[in-house]
Parts: sequence; structure tokens; C-alpha cells
Amino acid sequence: MSTLKPDEWQALSPYLDQALAISEDERAAWLSSLAEQNPALAAQLVALLDEQRVLAQEGFLEKGRVELPGAPGLAGQTIGPYTLLSQIGQGGMGSVWLAERSDGRFERRVAVKFLNIALVGKGGEERFKREGSILGRLAHEHIAELVDAGISVTGQPYLVLEYVEGDHIDRYCDQQRLGVDARIRLFLDVLEAVAHAHSNLVVHRDLKPSNVLVRKDGEVKLLDFGIAKLLEGEGEDGAATALTAEGGHAMTPEYAAPEQLMGAPVTTATDVYALGVLLYVLLTGQHPAGGGFRSAADLVEAIVHTEPTRPSDIVAPTGANAEETTTNAARRTTTPDKLSRLLRGDLDTIVAKALKKNPKERYASVTALADDLRRYLDHEPIAARPDTIVYRAAKFVRRNRLAVALAILAFAASVTGVVATLIQSRTVRAERDFAFQQLALAGATNDLNSFLLSDAAPSGKPFTVNDLLDRAQRIIERQHGNDASRVQLLISIGRQYTTQDQDAKGRPLLEEAYRLSRSISDPSARAQASCALAEVLGHGDQLPRAEPLIQEGLRELSNEPQFAMDRMFCLLRGNEIARDSDDTGLAIARAQEAVRVVKQSPLDSDLLEFGVLDHLAESYRAAGKQREAIPVFEQAAALLASLGRDNTETASTLFNNWALALDQLGRAVEAERTFHQAIDISRADQSDRGVSPMLLINYARVLHSLNRLDEAADYAERGYATAQKSGAGVIVNQSLLERARIYDDQHNPDRAAAMLAEVEPRLRRDLPPGHYAFASLASEHARLQMERGNFVSALRYANDAVAIMEAAAKSGKGGGQFVPGVLEVRARVELAAGRPDEAAADAARALRMFQEAAQPVEHSRILGLAYLILARALAAQGKGDEARAAARSAAEHLQASIGPDHPDTLSAQQLAGLETQAR
Amino acid sequence: MDPTISGLIGAAEQGDVAAANALFSALYAELHRLAQRELGRPGAAVSLGATTLLHEAYLDMSAGGGPSFPDRARFMGYAARVMRGLIIDHARERHAQKRGGLFEITSLDTDAMENAVDHRELAQISEALDELGKLEPSLAEVVDLKFFCGFSFGEIATMRHVSERTVQRNWEKARIYLHRKIRADLSL
Repeated sequence: MSTLKPDEWQALSPYLDQALAISEDERAAWLSSLAEQNPALAAQLVALLDEQRVLAQEGFLEKGRVELPGAPGLAGQTIGPYTLLSQIGQGGMGSVWLAERSDGRFERRVAVKFLNIALVGKGGEERFKREGSILGRLAHEHIAELVDAGISVTGQPYLVLEYVEGDHIDRYCDQQRLGVDARIRLFLDVLEAVAHAHSNLVVHRDLKPSNVLVRKDGEVKLLDFGIAKLLEGEGEDGAATALTAEGGHAMTPEYAAPEQLMGAPVTTATDVYALGVLLYVLLTGQHPAGGGFRSAADLVEAIVHTEPTRPSDIVAPTGANAEETTTNAARRTTTPDKLSRLLRGDLDTIVAKALKKNPKERYASVTALADDLRRYLDHEPIAARPDTIVYRAAKFVRRNRLAVALAILAFAASVTGVVATLIQSRTVRAERDFAFQQLALAGATNDLNSFLLSDAAPSGKPFTVNDLLDRAQRIIERQHGNDASRVQLLISIGRQYTTQDQDAKGRPLLEEAYRLSRSISDPSARAQASCALAEVLGHGDQLPRAEPLIQEGLRELSNEPQFAMDRMFCLLRGNEIARDSDDTGLAIARAQEAVRVVKQSPLDSDLLEFGVLDHLAESYRAAGKQREAIPVFEQAAALLASLGRDNTETASTLFNNWALALDQLGRAVEAERTFHQAIDISRADQSDRGVSPMLLINYARVLHSLNRLDEAADYAERGYATAQKSGAGVIVNQSLLERARIYDDQHNPDRAAAMLAEVEPRLRRDLPPGHYAFASLASEHARLQMERGNFVSALRYANDAVAIMEAAAKSGKGGGQFVPGVLEVRARVELAAGRPDEAAADAARALRMFQEAAQPVEHSRILGLAYLILARALAAQGKGDEARAAARSAAEHLQASIGPDHPDTLSAQQLAGLETQAR
Repeated sequence: MDPTISGLIGAAEQGDVAAANALFSALYAELHRLAQRELGRPGAAVSLGATTLLHEAYLDMSAGGGPSFPDRARFMGYAARVMRGLIIDHARERHAQKRGGLFEITSLDTDAMENAVDHRELAQISEALDELGKLEPSLAEVVDLKFFCGFSFGEIATMRHVSERTVQRNWEKARIYLHRKIRADLSL
């Protein structure tokens, strides 16, 4: 059956019109007269008209069920020597049927798997047959045998496989209540099979429990072996589709290796990774990437970036998940504690080595993994070496330099407690920007699915990076003539990599795009290339090179509406780079202009507006202009709500940043409410899974400021635990400091001291000596000593704090905004130590600095507390009137910002009302 | 709502590829937003007929468009193509999601359609339609309007100011082309 060429159709079309316009009876006569004049044409027409009769009967495109013509057979049909009995499923690439031999010879039953022709591709027939014979030679007791392969008379490729009846391996182990050793022994059978295949140069590519069945007699059988390999077209050099499609769409990538998700070629190391995940699941009952993911994009992020929790740790019972760990342990015929002890050490190490993100660091072969497991069973020392904590922490710092820089900003000891934004927020923003960009580049990619690929669906929606990349690459291949399109597509793909933090892959593409763009004249492509390259350079600490590129890009684009999207793109990238360079003025200017551009554009939509407002709000906040930031945050939040996206990851980030701005203005009550919203959104279930540790600590801090100390301690501890789990060292430090502060206020100096003891060596290890974080630390020591009544010691620490902070600020190493905070702490110490004059001086200075920084008309907790300290100091000096005046201001600020019932508010009111000296 | 939609339609009809793409984007976003809005209202229907949505969209957009806003027929031609894209994307996504969906669209009267159609089949039809669209755009448009959007022969005839018989004939021709194209693709 041949397809109609366009010119053939053009020739036939008018005749078809005529033929369809006349009745059936007349048609026969008309056709025969046509046949006399042009037999070939008539013959083609007859064929088409015959087909039309068939399709009319079938109801093609009419009825509900759309059957594609040529679909595979029904029950009773034969395929080669087999007869199909019944459909047993919708397998990976087509339907699967149970079948038996037609000649009645009693041999085993088989499973016949039909493959969707669309996936085999033209010219796949020969390759298909070749691959079939290779796989047929993979004879192993633990591999479901490939009995035959062929192409049916209707042109449908099929595979005939040994039919296996059994349970998925994880379910089997749980039902049989197999212990750790028994599971490992079963797992070794699996490894044998995979190793056998590898030695025949066949990679499975899709190892997961549903492909590893265990029969009733305990025999392990691997399925779907190398099927993915069969479906490659020529010339794709090993880069197979990373994720199997169930029923034609992408699955969640739970067993995919990081390199698979990044589109790298699949190798035997990829199978090792999948086996590592399987082993983890069999040993612990949980998935190494954790759970409770809001979307598959988060899962992908976790697989690519997050180090898995050690098996021994994840099975250990903690408060929240006691029930789960008990169930999992019971399925292994033991208790959580015992299971944890069993897994600790060698098994931890073995699993970790199989799950390394870098394929080169994994076990070199499946055999090596099996050897180590056998050594474990025989109580011999294993070959793999464990990670050290230092190694893990160091890796985190290197990879996330920007994030670390942001987080370190949060080291403020003082009452003001300035904070950092969520580490994640940058990536989330970038992903969303990319979706906008896709919308704008619809002309180049002609594919609006990316519009739906942004975080529109709140949870559970699978998302594959590879889908997009595959689509884009196919489009590049189709459009090879046109350079502007090529540039835009390179940019698309390159940016996709960078938003997934794969700068190493993205950067060469973007450099290439830039290079190509220099020789074309299309301003849109040129500008995008400059700005996209700038973005990735900015990530890699090449900010000096980035800024001129942004300016170059902006210069390309006039103010015409057709360039609106490109201008927006460049302005937003330029905004981010300006922020990273701490050029807050420029950042704000660019964000403001981006807002203007979007509002004037014909393609203005709520979604685009949100994207720019989000940048603007954050730019204001980072520049210390909280007052300008807050109304913009409000607008952005309202837009999110009207887009129906106010329970997504993006929303959580937005609420966090907004709450930070409120907190920095001292509007603690509002900040608390907004932080709470952020937490609620990002919480997937009752546990803290999915909530950023930084957010938990931010919340703890604001609760602390509202004097809800027990709750604050709880959240700070949870932030600590979550940060530990995800290996986020800098956040762990944050949490330790905050906990110290809380315990101090709970009058629990010993616990506070323990926190400081834990954090100090960490800080000394990670930061240079004059860093202002040590000023914070000293300030905390001062408070601790004050709590213990050791005023001399406290004063010494407080002096240190001020000295370090001022030195750091003076040498331009930051910390300037935290100086009043440490002054205020010193003032308290001086007051308690009976030095009212010094206390008053410090308090007055701190107040002045706060007032300069803050907007005077706001009611602020920060100002309120500063007034209160000053009031107390003045009272101690005997200056009653001034003290009362200060106390009145304090009361006014505090009442509005932290509430009338807060002890500090009451204190201020009391002080304002007294005639005599206060304490 | 947006006067420049007409500008884009005009430019697209003159062969401006960039305008055609921008139009597609704008319509897609607009229809998407409308669907969300319609379904988000309290008391909203659980599923939304594509024809209803398109009528709404036309009313919405032409209201602010002024006298030069293109007539229904021209608008529907573009919008129906966009609707095809939305439906396929939706089908693909609905397969992918375990619970809840962005929105539900039924394009045919029978509910059987919802459960039966595989999004990959739809995608194949769409690809074949694009090919047909290059040869005889009016044929592809009929399929978009009838199959994906659920307009009747009568409605299509009215919109295009032709007889119902003509529309039926175009439909038959289109089916012949698609059937042949898809079968040919399947047999390598």
C-alpha cells in the first residue's frame, strides 16, 4: 500500500470531487468512460473509492472508537506457528497476547508482543530481524527467553517470549517476608542474568520491579530484555529513549539513572544504577530519591542532584514515620532498629557505590557488584570504600556556589535576623522562564506542549526532559536550511540543560548558538543567543563576560512589538545577572522595564506578567527595598491565584520571598501567616517531605519573634533534620544558630551551648576567618553567657562580635546591615552588666542605623525592640522622661507588629506608664 | 478583547509565518485560559463541549475587536486548528496524569470517545492532517471542525456559506486521504 505523493493527490483531487458528487450507479459508467481516456488515473481512482467504501463501513473518524487501519489481530488469529488466545496486557510498546502453538504440540505457552510500527521506523525491518537473533542467543535460566521474532503479514512486527507467571520481585519479597540475606541472595540471581547479558553486549535499559518477576517456585525471571535496543533507528548511536512508555506516554522515571535523564548514551553503568535502586528498594522498602514529590520534575531534580539517604538511616524509626518503618521492617522479618543495624556499614557502602551520580564512580560491572554482595554474605571485607562526610559536604559547596552564597547571607545573629531566599527558587524560576520562552519561540519549535510542561499541574504529573529534547532535536533535523531556526533551537535545548543545572552540557550548545548567530541578521535570534549565553556564563561565575553580552542583546532589539518577547527574555536574564553582581539598581531598572514591555505586548497574559513581577519583587527585596517589594509580591500572588496556580512550587517560593520581605520590615504577624502558606503549599503530605529546610527555619525564626518559643523550637529542629537529610550543610549551620537563640530565650542555656558547640567547628571549616558569620557566633555566645549570668564573659563576646562585624563591613565583605543587630545585643549585655551609659550609647546608635535603613512610617518589630532597649538604658541612667518617650514609641511599634500580648509589648507599655525608674 | 488578533489573522493570511505562529500561540493561550475559567466557575459543567468553548472564544474576542474583526468563518478556521492541538495535548496529558486533569474536553457527543481514543492515534491523525493541510487546506479545516470540534455539517456549511452537500463531499475526500496516509505509514 503506497502513500499518495502530493502531485498524485493534486491530479486525483478534482476527479474525486466529481466522483463523489454523483450517485453510485452513475459512477460506474463515468469511471469506465474515464478509463478509456486515462486508464492509470482511473485505476487509482477505483482503488481510492474502494477504500472509501471500507472506511465508511469501519466508521473511520465517525464513531467513538478510532481504530487505526491495520491494527493487530484479534483472538483466534495466527501469528507464525502460534494462535493468539487472549490479550494479557498493554505492554511497553504495544499490546501483549497469550498464545500457544497452533499444531497442538504441548509446549509452553508464550507471550506475543506486538510492537507499534510507528516506533520501529522506516528501514527498521532488517535491523529488527538482526537484533532478534542476537537476543535469541541470550539463553539464561533467569532470563525470559526470546523464542522468536518476525513481521506479520499485515506488516506488524512481533516478538514471541517465554510466558512467565510470577510476582514483581519487590512484592514477592514482601509477601514471603524475606529477610535481608534472603533478599540479597534472590537479588544475586538477578545480577547473574544481567551480567550474562552484558557479556553479550546487550544492555537492558529498563530494569525495574515489574520487569523482574519471581515465580511461585522462587525462580527469578527477567523480562523485556533489550527490547528498547531493538527499536532504535539507524544512526542514533546508542542514545535510546531513556524512559519506557506505558501505553504511549512517559512514565515517572523512578529507575532512571541521572545520565539517562540528561539524554546521555545508555551503557552498562546505567543498568548498574537501576540495580542499585532496586537493591535499595528491596532492602529498605523505600525509594532512594525519597517520596512525596509534587511532580515528576521534582523527582528528576532529586535523582540528578540529591544524594540518597543511607539505607541504615532511612529505615531507622523517627517520630513522623514510625509506622512506615515498622511495616517495612516487619516485611523483612525484623524490627526497625535491628534492620538499621543490619544495613549499617557495608550494605550502606555497597548501595551508595551503585547509586553514584557519576557513572564512572559506580561499580565498573554488575559482576563487581555481585562480588561485593557475596563478600558481605560471607562476612568478608568488601572492596568499595565509604564516603566521608567531608567529601559530601565539599561536593555540595562546589556544586551550589551561588546557593551557598545566598544562604550565607543569612548569618545574622541579631534580633533582626535577616534571611536568605530559598535555594530552589532560582531553578524553579528558570524552569518557568523556559516555559515562557517556549511560548515565545513557538515559531521555531512549533510545539506548544512546553506550555503545558510548566508547573501547571500541582502534583503527580510526569515530565521528561528527554521528551522535549527529542522533539527539539527532531525539529532541528527537519529544518536544516534555516540558520535562524537552528540558532533558536540550539538555544532551546541549551537552556533546557541549564535549567536542569547541567551547565556543562548546555554551555557548548549556547556557545555554538552564539557563534552561529553572529553570521545571521535576524535580530531576534541574535539577541536571544547573546542573552542565553550570558545566563549560562553567569551561572559559571563568569559574570564579567555575561554583562556585556546582555547589553549587546538589548541593543539588537528595537521597541517594536514583534521583539517584545525577546526584550523580555533579555531583560529578565539581565536582571538575574545584575542581581548576582549585586548591582541592585540595575536589577531593579531592568525588571521594571520588563514589566513595561510585557504590559504593552499583544501577547500579554497573566502568566507572563507573573513572571516579570516575580523578578521585580525579588529584586526590590534583595536591594533592601521591602516597602516597594511588598505590593509587587501581592500583585504576583493575586495573579498566581487567578491562574489557578497558587498551590504550586512557584507559589511556595513566592510566598516565602514575600514573607521574608514582610519579616525584614518587622511585620511579623503577617510574615508568619505568609510563611505558613508557603509551607502548606509545598507540603505533599503530613510529613515535612518536599518542604525546603530553609523555609522551615525561616518560619521558626518568625515564630520565635512572636514568642511562640515551643513551636519555634520544633520547626527549627525539623529544619535541622531536613537539612541534614539533604546534605545541605550551610542550612544545617543556620538551623543550629537559630536553635541556639531559641533555647536561650527558653532559658535553656545548656542546650543552646550544645548548638554553638556543634556549629562552631563547621563554620571554622567552611568560612574564612574574618567572615561576619563569626560575629554572629560571638553574639550568640554573648547571649548565652548573659543567660548564665556571666556578664564579664558576655561582654567580651559582645565586643568581639561588634569588632568582627564592623571590620567585615568596612572591608566590603558584607555584614554592614547586621552591625546594628550586634550593637543591640551588646547594649543588652551592658545593661545587664550594670553599664547603662554604654548601653544607652549603643542602643541609640543601633536605633539610628535601623531608622536609616528602614522606612520610618512602617510599624516595625525591629524598631520597636530597638526603642525598648534604649528605653531601658535611659531608665537605668535615670532619664525618666526620655525613657518614657522611647518606651511609648516602642509600645506603638511592637503592638502593631508582634501583637499586644507579646511580653515585649507589655514590657514597653509598662515602661511607658511608670513614673519611677524601671528595672 | 484584543484588537491585534485580527491583525495577526490578516497577516497570517498573507503568508506571514511569524504572524501565523504568534496567532497560534495567542489563541492557544486564550482558549486554555477560557477553558480554565469556564470550568473554574462554581456550578460549571464537568466537561465542556469544544464547540461551546469556541463560540465563547469568538464572542469574547470579537467583542473588543471592533468592526474589522474577522468573521466567524475565518476565526473558526484558525481556532479549530488550535483546538486540535489542545485536544491532543489534553489527551496526552490525561493519560499521563493519575488523578485530576487540567480540564476535560469532549469533542464528540458520545462519551465513548473519551475512553477510547489513544492520544498517539490522535497524533498520527494530526500529522496526516498537517500534510493534507498543505495540499488542500479547506479539507483539513473540515476535519478539524467536525472531528475535533464537533460541529455538524450544517453548522460548517453555514459558517462557510456553502451547501451541506459540499461539506460532506469534502469530508469524504479528507477521510480518503487520511485513511490512505495512515495505512501507508503503518506498513512501513
